[in-house]
Amino acid sequence: MELLETTRQALLLLFSADAELWGIVGVSLSVSLIAMAVALPVGVGMGYLLASVEFPGRRPLIVLIQGLLASPTVVVGLLLYLLLSRQGAFGQLQLLFTQTAMIVGQVLIALPVLIAFSLSALQSADPRARETALALGASGPRVAWTMLVEVRFALMAAVCSAFGRVVSEVGCSLMVGGNIAGVTRNIPTAIALETSKGEFAQGVALGIVLLVVALGVNSAFAFFQGGAQR
Amino acid sequence: MTLLSVAGLEKSFGERRLFAIDELALAAGESYALTGENGAGKSTLLRILAGIDQPERGSGQYADRAFGWQPYPDWLRHEVIYVHQQPYLFHTGVLDNIAYGLRARGIERAERERRVAAAVAWARLEHLLDTPPQKLSGGEKQRVALARAWVLKPRVLLLDEPTANLDAESRQQTLALVREFCGPRTAAVIACHDRDVIELPHMRRLHLAGGGIEVCMENCNAV
Repeated sequence: MELLETTRQALLLLFSADAELWGIVGVSLSVSLIAMAVALPVGVGMGYLLASVEFPGRRPLIVLIQGLLASPTVVVGLLLYLLLSRQGAFGQLQLLFTQTAMIVGQVLIALPVLIAFSLSALQSADPRARETALALGASGPRVAWTMLVEVRFALMAAVCSAFGRVVSEVGCSLMVGGNIAGVTRNIPTAIALETSKGEFAQGVALGIVLLVVALGVNSAFAFFQGGAQR
Repeated sequence: MTLLSVAGLEKSFGERRLFAIDELALAAGESYALTGENGAGKSTLLRILAGIDQPERGSGQYADRAFGWQPYPDWLRHEVIYVHQQPYLFHTGVLDNIAYGLRARGIERAERERRVAAAVAWARLEHLLDTPPQKLSGGEKQRVALARAWVLKPRVLLLDEPTANLDAESRQQTLALVREFCGPRTAAVIACHDRDVIELPHMRRLHLAGGGIEVCMENCNAV
C-alpha cells in the first residue's frame, strides 16, 4: 500500500509542475548535455587519430582507453575531488561543488566511451571508403569528415551510450558536486540522498524521469545500431 | 607526348618482391591494357600510380613536374583517378557521390550542378538518382563510379578490371562508357585478364610478369 501511495504522490509531483523537482531535472540535463558537447568533438577526434595515424605507444593507449570504459565513476570523482580540493593541484580554481566540476567529471567519464566506440566504428569501416575519398582528390580534413559521415550510425550509437552513462552516474556527481539543493543536485544524487531522508515520492518521481530519459536514449541507440548494420 | 612516367619503381610485400619496373611512360591519347596473372601486381601498380599505395623506391614525373610518394602530391591527385574493381559508393546519394570530387576541388555550386547533370546524362543515370547507392546493382555502381570520375575530367584514368563480375549487358554498357572516357587528352590504364582484354582504339598492352613489365606495340599477341 505504501508503494502505491508513494507512486500516487510521485505522479502528482510530476504533473504539478513542482519547481524543485523540475529544477533537479534541469540540472541533470544541462550538466550532461554540456559535458557531451565538450566531450564529443574531442572523443571522436581522438578516435579518428587512433584509427588513422600510426605512432609509438598507440597500442598501449588503445588498451588503456578500453580499460577506462569500465572505470567506476566514483573513482573518477575521487581523483577529481583530490585535484579540485583546496590542497589539490587545481584547488585555486575553486571549482569543487560547482556544476563546472560535475561537467568536468562527466567529460572524463564520457571520453573513453566516445573514443573507444568511434575507434571501433572507423576500424570496421570499408577501407575502400578512405581510398575512394583520396582518389577523388579529398584533402586530409575532408577525408576525415567523409569517414565520420560514412560511420554516422555507429557514431550516434556511441553518443547515446556515452550520454546514458553520464546522465545516470551518481558517484562522480556526488563527490565533486556535493548535492547542493538548486545548484548541483541532479537526478541521481537527489534519488540517492533524498530517499535516505524519507523523501520517497520525490525519489520515485525522479526515478521515472530518469527511466524515461534512459529508455529514450537506449531506443535511439538500438535504432542507430540497426542503421549501422543496414 | 608522355604525360605520366615512373622510373625505378619497386614494390614488395614483406620478403616477396612484387615487381621492379625500370621505366613506364604513359602518353596522352593512348590507352593501355594492363594484363598479368592474378597476384602479378596489376592492382598494386594502379594504386601506386594513384597515390593510394606507396612503393619502396621510385620516382615519377607528370608533364614536366617531378613527384614522389612521401607524400604523394595533392596537385597530382587532381589529375589522376583510380576506380576500384568493385567501386565504393559513399552512403549518401548518387548525386552527392558524383559531386564529391568537385566539392573537394572547391568548384562553386552552380558550376558543380551543371557538371554533375552532364555526368548523369553521360552515364545515363537519370532513373537511379533517388535510389540509395547501396541498393544499386554491380553494373549500376560501376557506372556511377565512372560518372564520378568522368566529371573531374582526369588526365590519367586508372581502371581496375572494370568489367569483372558484370553480366553481359552491364559489361557492354560499361565498355561503351570506358571507350567514350578515353579521349585524346587522357592516358588510360585498364587492368584486365589476358583472356578478357578490352579492345580500344590506340590500345597498347602492358604485361606484368616475372616482377617486371613489358610494353608491347599494338596487337602483340606473342605476350
